[in-house]
Amino acid sequence: MPRGMHKSRTLRQVFVKTPGGKTVKHFRRRKPSKTICGSCKKELKGVPKDIPSKVRAIPKSARRPERPYGGVFCSACTRKLLQQKAREGEK
Amino acid sequence: MSLFQVGRLAVKIAGRDAGRKCVIVELIDQNFAVIDGDVRRKKVNLRHLEPLTQTVDLKDKASHDEVKKAFEKLELPVWEKKSKTPAPRVKKTKKVKAKPATEKKVKKETKKEEKTVEKKEVPKTEEKPVEKPVEEKAAEKKE
Repeated sequence: MPRGMHKSRTLRQVFVKTPGGKTVKHFRRRKPSKTICGSCKKELKGVPKDIPSKVRAIPKSARRPERPYGGVFCSACTRKLLQQKAREGEK
Repeated sequence: MSLFQVGRLAVKIAGRDAGRKCVIVELIDQNFAVIDGDVRRKKVNLRHLEPLTQTVDLKDKASHDEVKKAFEKLELPVWEKKSKTPAPRVKKTKKVKAKPATEKKVKKETKKEEKTVEKKEVPKTEEKPVEKPVEEKAAEKKE
């Protein structure tokens, strides 16, 4: 019988083939949802999607784009925002 | 006449240097320009720039030093290129730690030396008679 914790779907199921030829069910943690832009809610690119502890092992420069608001706003929204700021600064 | 001329200040909107101020140094064609200032000096698409009203007196294809002078007048920061050769590592903390340790050791050693000297002085008188026969034996062997 599966353990109680394995009966719910909090852990995702992965079928793994063992060297002996058996197919075994493994239970793994689910990955977090995709990171989205703070303004347009589009999926962000260049941001790894993995378990936080694994993401933390990646160098910081590989975790998000190296520009202001990188990993928060998408490139298009950043452009608009910086453009607005530049124009407001002129006034 | 377009806003993009040599000496026009602009804000970079895209890429690593986004949000930083720069100046147009050279116009390559309708779409591209060379920029310098608080950004890495490079060719960029004009779409990546947001022009400002301010302009600077600059020659066409001005060098980085000229741009630097102009930016310092305006009290704007300037991007400086990092040297590719890494700076030599200075192990400051370790040296600081090592110094007192050596001093302590020296102190201990001096103490030990003093002690040993004292000890040596006592047995020296005893050893002298022991050493003599060794020399004598050696002399005998030589003969």
